[in-house]
Amino acid sequence: MRRPSSELVLLAAVVAVVGAFALVPAGELFARSLGPSGGLPALANAVTEPASQRTFSNSLVQGGLSAVLAVAVGYPAGVFVGRYRWFGRETVRAALLLPFLLPSLVMVLGVLDLFGGSGVVGGPVPAVRWFAAGIPGIVAVNLFYNVPIVVVLTATGCEASSSSLEETVASLGGSPARAYLEAWARPSWVGAACGGLLTFVFSALSFAPPILLCGSRCDTVEVRVYELAEVFGAPSSAGVLAFLLVVLFLAPALAYVLLRRRLRPARGWTARARPPPWGAPGTWALGATFAAVVGAELALVLAVVVRSVVPAGGGPLGQGWRLLGSATTAAHLGISVEGAVGNTLFFAALAAGVGIVLATASAFVTSRRPRTATGLGLLLFMPVLFSPVVLAEALATFWKPLLGGSANVWVLIVLSQSLLGLPFALQSLEIPLAGLPRAGAEAAETLGASSWAAYVDTELPRVRRGIQTAVLFAFALGLGEFTATNFLVTPRYETLPVAVYDLTSARLYPAAGAAAALLLLLSLVVFALIVVSGVDERE
Amino acid sequence: MSASSPLLELDHVSASWGRLEVVRSVSFRVAEGELLTLLGPNGSGKTTLLRVIAGFERPTAGSVRLGGRDLAGIPPYRRSIGLLFQEPALFPHRTVLENIAYAPLLQRRRSEEVRSIVSELSGLLSLERLLDRRPDRLSGGEQQRVALARSLAARPKLILLDEPFASVDVEVRAGLHAEFRTALRQFGTAAIHVTHDREEGLFLGDRLALIFDGRLHAEGTPQEVFSRPTSERIASFLGYNVLAGPEGPVAVLPEEITCGPPSAPARTYTVRASGPVGRRYLSVLEGPGGGRVEVRSDAPLEPGASVGVSWSREVRLPR
Repeated sequence: MRRPSSELVLLAAVVAVVGAFALVPAGELFARSLGPSGGLPALANAVTEPASQRTFSNSLVQGGLSAVLAVAVGYPAGVFVGRYRWFGRETVRAALLLPFLLPSLVMVLGVLDLFGGSGVVGGPVPAVRWFAAGIPGIVAVNLFYNVPIVVVLTATGCEASSSSLEETVASLGGSPARAYLEAWARPSWVGAACGGLLTFVFSALSFAPPILLCGSRCDTVEVRVYELAEVFGAPSSAGVLAFLLVVLFLAPALAYVLLRRRLRPARGWTARARPPPWGAPGTWALGATFAAVVGAELALVLAVVVRSVVPAGGGPLGQGWRLLGSATTAAHLGISVEGAVGNTLFFAALAAGVGIVLATASAFVTSRRPRTATGLGLLLFMPVLFSPVVLAEALATFWKPLLGGSANVWVLIVLSQSLLGLPFALQSLEIPLAGLPRAGAEAAETLGASSWAAYVDTELPRVRRGIQTAVLFAFALGLGEFTATNFLVTPRYETLPVAVYDLTSARLYPAAGAAAALLLLLSLVVFALIVVSGVDERE
Repeated sequence: MSASSPLLELDHVSASWGRLEVVRSVSFRVAEGELLTLLGPNGSGKTTLLRVIAGFERPTAGSVRLGGRDLAGIPPYRRSIGLLFQEPALFPHRTVLENIAYAPLLQRRRSEEVRSIVSELSGLLSLERLLDRRPDRLSGGEQQRVALARSLAARPKLILLDEPFASVDVEVRAGLHAEFRTALRQFGTAAIHVTHDREEGLFLGDRLALIFDGRLHAEGTPQEVFSRPTSERIASFLGYNVLAGPEGPVAVLPEEITCGPPSAPARTYTVRASGPVGRRYLSVLEGPGGGRVEVRSDAPLEPGASVGVSWSREVRLPR
């Protein structure tokens, strides 16, 4: 009997994991919600109910506005990163991933620390306090979180263009503007569009920013689903709304998956970064936009750290840190801060491990069977599309009883974190793999290596940077994941992001600020460890 | 510009990749309508030199002049220098006709003139049947012919050919050489062609320059350069065997070596391999010091056998 190929075996394994821990639980949740409520009437009711309509409208407005602004700012900055070679480029580019390491909750605190009434900037400059509340505040948080995504994806798009084509246009007398149109506008805009779509989905499904900066009038669908399930005790209504959410955001998710596939260099092509042409005024504009993005992100990070040491109300220096380590805070959280840090690192490390295994297997399948790429890409994106709250609720209702209740809920936390980070980890691997010539792997296969062995021996070592980034993504998203974890967690397994939320909700702001700063510093240390290991070869 | 002044003049041009100097003080001239071949092994700095001339890299020293004008600070798109790569880099979303008409339209030429240019070039390079096709439906050779037509349609003063035949099938390569040469002649366009392929270099150029380690080592007509190798390294690269003569090293072509019974120990070699190449046989011999020699002969040699070698003609090399 002929053995099934390793691609098929791994494809089946990946589909089984995602199916068992995302599709089946979510499908069961939707079926259960729609079944007893009467199917279409329940859907019609959810569509026409004013509260649901408002949350959908909020999601679309917040998502749309954030996406447009993120692309407007991120595109020129991404072009500066993707096209030009300058000292420290790779390190700064890697540093742009830092916002991914943080939960949106820290971003919210950062925006308040920057633009709030007693913020570092908002204190002396009242005009900027506009950005500390309501829709402007939410959009500001979304931009801090998502502009780096647009920058990185636009840069990747620029690198997927053909240097030869661009140089050919120049050699035919075409101006730089013409070379842009012919050779690199398209790939760079594909990258920006990918970033814009992700921004739209992330912003439309945001959780902490609308709750903490605006209140119920700005609730997104995600918040409404959470409230219906956890606050109002109406899980069926929550399930119906979650189903509508998936239907509504399926189109942008599919568009992202399809566009992302085009964000790859043709095999053997590499767009060379060149020194910036400082003689051209446009270069200064691009550089200034990039500097503004980096400066803003840095300011946000510094504001969080400064505020954790210098309390807003003028209390003693370091009060927040003392409170964070106090027995009162531990009693409030139900766990010491050291325990929360330990849980955070433990879950993130396991999530990164599971994520990188699944991403490596998925990248292997898509590199050997390109036709599966769109379908597999969409499948892996489904947990993100379900939204963290829906995924967590589905996991909790389907798997918790099977795992013996709350004692083993940590397994579900790890799986939710790894599934939410998986599409981004995969992308970090797929793009560099797509640019590799196949000759090495084919040579190994002619020497007797299996397809999988050839992949591991000849291709993975050449995309070390992609693997590092994939691990970074998986670990980062696990470290900062708040929404799904918050839904699943018990006090014993409380993580640092959940602690930040609990302390903020209890208005223990100095301790919350210190917890956010601790999470930030922790992320910086992990980030530095991962990046430094790969910087030498890049610079 | 006087009739005798060169079209292109490189004066002690150097260029670097980071700290590594890859082109070292190179000087040469190219006359109007002349085809210069730069021949050298991979990594010898040929492509970097072309990119400096095209304006995609800045020289670290020296000057490049075209038609008497210093090109320093002039961007590539204002240099009137065409460039062809190993990959044709055709516009994938445009037909062959649109690719060829690209530069004339960019130059805002009248439509009749554009039609005339496309017609002339497509006839010259046998592209008439392919005008409405997109690049992905063309063979490698056809794509390179379109790339040349597209470059010539811009009426550049000079065309740079960066190994454009390297990825073309062997059976169409010779025909393509002839077509390129004819088209460049007919348009009177000067060209610099870089290659690491010895036969291609010797065949195509009006003049030949050898480049090793970023330096120009020999320059002249192909016949001159080939018949008078000036060092052991150049001789080996041009296909000569380097042998020990009574007054120092000599360069001997494989066809000019005769094998017979073993004679003096210094000229006794062991046959390592022998096989047919067309109607003749190519054999590889190993000498007493481990040096290898290629021999072309009418009959095969017995592997493992000891033979004495002699030669009819040699070029003396400097010690």
